[in-house]
Amino acid sequence: MRFESMTDAIGNTPLVRIDSAVHGLRNIDLYAKMELLNPFGSLKDRAAWNMARPLLAQAVERGDTVVELSSGNTAKALAVIAGMHGLTFKSVTNRMKVAEIKDLLLLLGAQIDELPGQAECLDPTDTDDPLTRMYHRLAGSGGGYLHTDQYFNELNVDAHLNGTGPEIVKDLDGRAPDYFIACVGTAGSSTGVASALRQHNPDVRVVGLVAHKSDFIPGIRTIDEVHEVGLFDPDVYDTVETITADDAIDGLLTLVRRCGTLAGPTGGGAYQGAVRHLRAIDAQLTERRTAVFIVCDRVESYMSYLRERRPELFGRPPRRNSVRTVTDADVRQAVTVDVAEAERWIAERRGLVVDLRSPFAYQALHIDGSINIVDELFAELLHGGLPFGRRQPVLLVCPVGEKSARYAALLTRMGHPDVRSLDGGIIAWRDAGAELVRD
Amino acid sequence: MPLHLAPQIDPTLRSALDETVLMTQLADALGSPLGVILPQQLADNVAAFRSVFSGHRLSGQIYYAHKANRSSALVRELAATDAGIDVASLAELQHALGAGFVPQRIMATGPKNEEFLWLCARTGVTVSADSVGELATLAALVTDWSLPPVRVMARLSGFTSTGVQLGSRRSRFGVSAAAVSEVLDTIAKHAAALDLVGVAFHLDTIGLPEKAVALEGCLGALDECRRRGLRPWSVDIGGGFGVNYLADGTQWEQYTSALTEAVLGRRAPLTWNGHGYGLRAEGGHVRGALNLYPAHRPVSGPAYLDRLLRTTSPEQRRPLGTLLLDNMYDLHVEPGRALLDQCGLVLASVLEVRDEANGDTIVRLDCNARDVSLEEHGVLMDPVVVHRTTPAAPGPAGVYLFGNLCLEADLITRRQVFLPSRPRPGDLLAFVNTAGYLMDFSATHALRQPIGRKVALYRDDGAWRWCLDEQYWPVHHRAEAP
Repeated sequence: MRFESMTDAIGNTPLVRIDSAVHGLRNIDLYAKMELLNPFGSLKDRAAWNMARPLLAQAVERGDTVVELSSGNTAKALAVIAGMHGLTFKSVTNRMKVAEIKDLLLLLGAQIDELPGQAECLDPTDTDDPLTRMYHRLAGSGGGYLHTDQYFNELNVDAHLNGTGPEIVKDLDGRAPDYFIACVGTAGSSTGVASALRQHNPDVRVVGLVAHKSDFIPGIRTIDEVHEVGLFDPDVYDTVETITADDAIDGLLTLVRRCGTLAGPTGGGAYQGAVRHLRAIDAQLTERRTAVFIVCDRVESYMSYLRERRPELFGRPPRRNSVRTVTDADVRQAVTVDVAEAERWIAERRGLVVDLRSPFAYQALHIDGSINIVDELFAELLHGGLPFGRRQPVLLVCPVGEKSARYAALLTRMGHPDVRSLDGGIIAWRDAGAELVRD
Repeated sequence: MPLHLAPQIDPTLRSALDETVLMTQLADALGSPLGVILPQQLADNVAAFRSVFSGHRLSGQIYYAHKANRSSALVRELAATDAGIDVASLAELQHALGAGFVPQRIMATGPKNEEFLWLCARTGVTVSADSVGELATLAALVTDWSLPPVRVMARLSGFTSTGVQLGSRRSRFGVSAAAVSEVLDTIAKHAAALDLVGVAFHLDTIGLPEKAVALEGCLGALDECRRRGLRPWSVDIGGGFGVNYLADGTQWEQYTSALTEAVLGRRAPLTWNGHGYGLRAEGGHVRGALNLYPAHRPVSGPAYLDRLLRTTSPEQRRPLGTLLLDNMYDLHVEPGRALLDQCGLVLASVLEVRDEANGDTIVRLDCNARDVSLEEHGVLMDPVVVHRTTPAAPGPAGVYLFGNLCLEADLITRRQVFLPSRPRPGDLLAFVNTAGYLMDFSATHALRQPIGRKVALYRDDGAWRWCLDEQYWPVHHRAEAP
């Protein structure tokens, strides 16, 4: 396969059978449309390219900025496409909820504008939704923008009507599947694919999946939010069902661990929603049926999302010399010195003073002669062993004397014979009128 | 199915509400509407905030934002705790001083006239200054009247973020964080009159990221102070910690979903004249934004403060609470609504219950939308019915609540409210948990209607006792021994 441009690699993704030993359906062949294999990592590559392509030549001529209201895959694809054409991309978003995607966008050179959070005191005149606010901003900026408008742009649907949908039919030897299951985000893919499939078989059952209202699943909208989407037409779906973040993660785990498919939560949600919907039907069937769901994107961008919701998946063996293993009894054994004694100890240059506060705070004001090793870094060093000799006397300093006592206890347990903690911390030091310097 | 939005009622408020005979007697004697204040609950709320401070090992002050309620009982009860008070007008300052607050526990905020500034300077309360001009006016007053230097906080706004451009609503208050040097120049110029003790911000948002940017911006400003040899030790992060008004999150979700459907015309309207609370239908799609207080807020009040202090700062990548502690800074907060959580209710008499030809039921109350300003503040929460006798028709009743002003817009709620049972004229509706901003913030004498009286209801000797709000002091006169 030889291509002139990465955008030529968009589309023509494989349709892969999910092993019946995994999904347990006896009469239904379940296939996954592997949209995660698009070059920029998701289904949205198709829509982004289809929406941007006709406008690019003009935009390049004028030096426009590409703008989209997106906090995820569309932004990612548009950022890449804009970069390939020497244009800037700006993502306007309500709230970027997934840290990795935010970082990736910044890495791609995108600008991210986050809109303000909801007001605590109600302002009855503030009735604009983010889309309207963005339109005002674009209008006020006097042009120079290429706005792809994914929630209302028919070219979003068109990318799937002429691409994703017909590809599925072709791979099923010219037949449409009996069931099509898709998560609803912009509704572009589900609407486009559904129309294409129904052109071949008007009886295709289309299941739309939306997120449970109090849940957040990246790339899926809740039942209320879909009504804000211009492309959403309830008549496309034979049924709209709800999935939770837990469902999505369960499905994701099945796909990544058992199906060789490194799917993100949207793909996981589609799998879980598909199997749940089909299981009831499967039991009644006497002849074979075919079902297709979409694996939208890849798992790698959702590590923080998964870590937050399923910390147990990331269980690691405990590290040695961890301050968390210090007991209150250990702390009571730690040597502490009060401000007056510490002042004498320091004046006599008896040893090393380690300030465990943040570098910013240390630089602002600290005890003369102390060195700064912020607690996180100190903890990291201690996992490897003592960062100074056993004959080196040490005085530990923190804000209120609590952390320093824990570290003093830990150092003692690690075999350091001459370590002490400043009782009451640097706040007691300040309150006693002892000297603080800034140099 | 009736769409209830049942209020969160904690045990103390519940026990007060259960005194139905007392409630009806009070309303009969003192008129409708009647504000009922539970001052002792305020002390518990202060303690809850205080425990967040101690959990983070932070020092600093909790300043109650007086503007949330005009009550004297609340301010006097608060004076008996270790909390401070945030006053935003000359009269509020006089009120606080008269209730027993020493000036060291008072913070003056908001727009100020010269008289307000003079009394601040004369008594020695801390002034949270909004602008460089205000600092100059204050300094001139101190100099002209040969007063001791006044403690000042500089309120900042317009913080900028790096990397991701975090939008924030423009504020009419505070000096741009980028112009902090102008503030410090002014302080330096009037060094004998002004003693800078800290910097402040208040952002009208429930968003944590914006507050994290602002707090970090304050640390930068304080570092600039230290560079210049000043030694301010505090950061005031304002209020906006919020209240959880509803007992059941599912009801809130069902209601807001139903509202969306109603706006789209897929179900019968839930509101008077199809009001959409900020949502509107355009071409079969919902536009606008739900312009309501997030009434179900599981993380609110002290828990929200705790969450904020655990939030990692965008630049220094350390929890904000840890950064404050590292820098030895005191943290000041100015909660209003959150400190008055569960501190009171409004009683209103039912004047008329009638069924309209179209099937709507109207309940007309002897109070108006400014006496129970749920609508103005976008709080959707059902009232509790206090029946005088057993209700004739048990089972929920969907009603619209009309006020006593001769004004089309005077609806206590613009939505249909489902009461657990149908009230009769003479019954009372209790609007619970309304002490913060919803009781008397907007109350007026329009149409020469009276502003409701307030009573303080307090526990003493194991029983509920009451007095007029202005008669309440934390010193309770014990009942004579029999």
